[in-house]
Amino acid sequence: MKSRKTLRFMDSVVTHMILIAVCFIFLFPCLWLILASFSKSGSIYSFDGFFPSEYSFDTFRMLFTDTEMYNYPRWFRNTLFIATMSCLIGTFLVILTAYTMSRFKFRGRKAIMKTTLVLGMFPSFMGMIAVYIIMTQFGLINKMWGLILIYSSGAPMGYLTQKGFFDTIPGSIDEAARIDGATNFQVFLKINLPISMPIIVYTALTSFVFPWSDFILPKLLLKEKDLYTVAVGLMSLGETEFARFAAGSVFIAVPIVILYFCLMRFLVDGMTAGAVKG
Amino acid sequence: MRIKNRTENPQKSVRVSKANKKKMQSESLCTAVKNGGKQVRASMCLMGLGQLLYKQIGKGILYLCVLVLAAFYFVKRGFADIAGLFTLGTKEADTWLGIEGDNSVVMLLMGILSVIAALCFILCYISNIKDVYETQKRVERGGKPATFREDLQQFLDKKFYKTVLFLPILGVCVFNILPIIFMIAIAFTNYGGTIVPPKLVDWVGFNNFVKLATLSQFSPTFLKILNWNIIWAVISTALNYFAGLGLALLLNKECVKGKALWRAFPVLAYAVPGFITLLGFKFMFSYGGPINQIITGMGNKAVGFLDIDAKWIARIIGLLVNAWISVPSIMLLATGLLSNRDVSQMESAKIDGANAFQQFRHITLPFVLFSTTPVLISQFIGNFNNFGIFFFLRGGLYIDGYFLASDTDLLINWLYNLSINNNYYNIGATISLVIFVITSLISLSIYTGSASYREEDTFR
Repeated sequence: MKSRKTLRFMDSVVTHMILIAVCFIFLFPCLWLILASFSKSGSIYSFDGFFPSEYSFDTFRMLFTDTEMYNYPRWFRNTLFIATMSCLIGTFLVILTAYTMSRFKFRGRKAIMKTTLVLGMFPSFMGMIAVYIIMTQFGLINKMWGLILIYSSGAPMGYLTQKGFFDTIPGSIDEAARIDGATNFQVFLKINLPISMPIIVYTALTSFVFPWSDFILPKLLLKEKDLYTVAVGLMSLGETEFARFAAGSVFIAVPIVILYFCLMRFLVDGMTAGAVKG
Repeated sequence: MRIKNRTENPQKSVRVSKANKKKMQSESLCTAVKNGGKQVRASMCLMGLGQLLYKQIGKGILYLCVLVLAAFYFVKRGFADIAGLFTLGTKEADTWLGIEGDNSVVMLLMGILSVIAALCFILCYISNIKDVYETQKRVERGGKPATFREDLQQFLDKKFYKTVLFLPILGVCVFNILPIIFMIAIAFTNYGGTIVPPKLVDWVGFNNFVKLATLSQFSPTFLKILNWNIIWAVISTALNYFAGLGLALLLNKECVKGKALWRAFPVLAYAVPGFITLLGFKFMFSYGGPINQIITGMGNKAVGFLDIDAKWIARIIGLLVNAWISVPSIMLLATGLLSNRDVSQMESAKIDGANAFQQFRHITLPFVLFSTTPVLISQFIGNFNNFGIFFFLRGGLYIDGYFLASDTDLLINWLYNLSINNNYYNIGATISLVIFVITSLISLSIYTGSASYREEDTFR
């Protein structure tokens, strides 16, 4: 009995040691960036090993006032605009698509599902050059709306997770409403929408974060410096501007991190729904 | 499965095989043509005329408008576009003579677009005939032709799905399908290198595939990169998956208190946008970065972790950084799944004397593997096409023995270098097709071989 107890104790000790190591691994790079953003001198060469030799708030002040070369506030506004609009339109389209694919049986439904599956297997920016040409034809190069259009119209491709969620909502409620004379549109609006809050939050979050941190499309389609998003802008910073990079990163990562922590529950639910049902 | 069937009416839920379905569809069109009265024939000649004869003014005018628009489009440029798809331009630009030549690439794109437009028009035409026939049957049964209002209301009710799916499908067609078709077409042309507009592009058949496999310029690089790409995809997927699963199991242990707090750290890593993480790690391993500062501080020479000759070091750093980014999401997923697990199975196994490892091996692992097969596939494909990692860590590096690539680059990075940075569009498109074939074959074989496909109801 005693040996069993010590075994348990040892097990617990080892587990906790591994956990502490894991937490350290995940925390350390973040901590490093946060501390670097408070360093007094900008260049990475002035650092003392991992950490800055002197601390101050100057970098953050500089980030927003010294906009001659690197106009961070502008980048930030651009990113916020693009991400918010794509999130709104994209979420709307994805939810509707997923709902329809889950609830309606119609000719061509299976074909659509298979097509999206196959389309998903093409490398993501295989069509980039074509997209670029299309956008020039439409005159949408160097326009933020062009980017929003691409993000939100690509969003319905990822409807499977949401469809998995709608599949789990029992249909008897719908039927009752249909018998009471509701149209399909009303059934969706008045019955299914209110109980799908978790999946809507999940969709909104993911479709906000993607444009927020994407760098390929903005790099391709927004050539003017005034239209840079944060991702493209931060990429243009070199080693001597390390503190600025760190500060800029911390500033856009913090809202996202807070959002993730607040919406943790929805996130796990959404992911699990998508995973199990496929 | 059970739930989904409920909106179907009983006749439909009888499974009709695909061939039969097609037959039925064409039959209904044939019967419409055969049994149709004069209105149907009117509609066949002039879209919307039949509807007008039935006094369905609104619908008739709509169909007429479609016809007029289509005619206008095809006369104005549609036919020329379709022809252009075959020729890809005949007139080469000449600035000396002031000739404005054909732009083959735009012609190709517009040609594809016009083919799609033609298909849409044909669908419209068929629906027009069917619609009149429906009305005819209704009238024969003694009913009245549906009013425009009733028709519109259908789109909020019975045909709700059409209303809803219209926008998404349009968007996906323009921004996903059209570009993909375009790139597939590019793979069979000689567009790229020195042959870019204003020069004329031509169809070359399978020439690019042959080039990729045999030409000394491309094929050694291709084989080397393909080899590394497969190794990378397998190792990184396995590493991320088992590390994530292990972490979730560790956090699920009874002796761990304050699970939410422990979990917060990986979630932190998960929440930081990927490009920030990658750029941060690049700085960390750079020459002036902290790790090298410590190394030089101890009196050693700085190590070029991501330098030109740092083949395996750079690869391993890539694997670890990728794990740092992806493990948390798998952990979250596995946590969610483990909380859904049937605990009674574990209890009974414990009573039967199974030890912790046996419980894991025979109960937890099969369950988790079963539930996460789709995730495993998407992880594998995601890793196979993981553009960001080496783009940020070692972007833009070209190494001897590789054609416009480095020894850490994956196919997708090479594709980017070739087509976006160096104008080798046709080879880039060919590589995309190769990637597509590989990923789809692998995921198909995993999927059909997996338990979740064969025994769909095991864990329900």
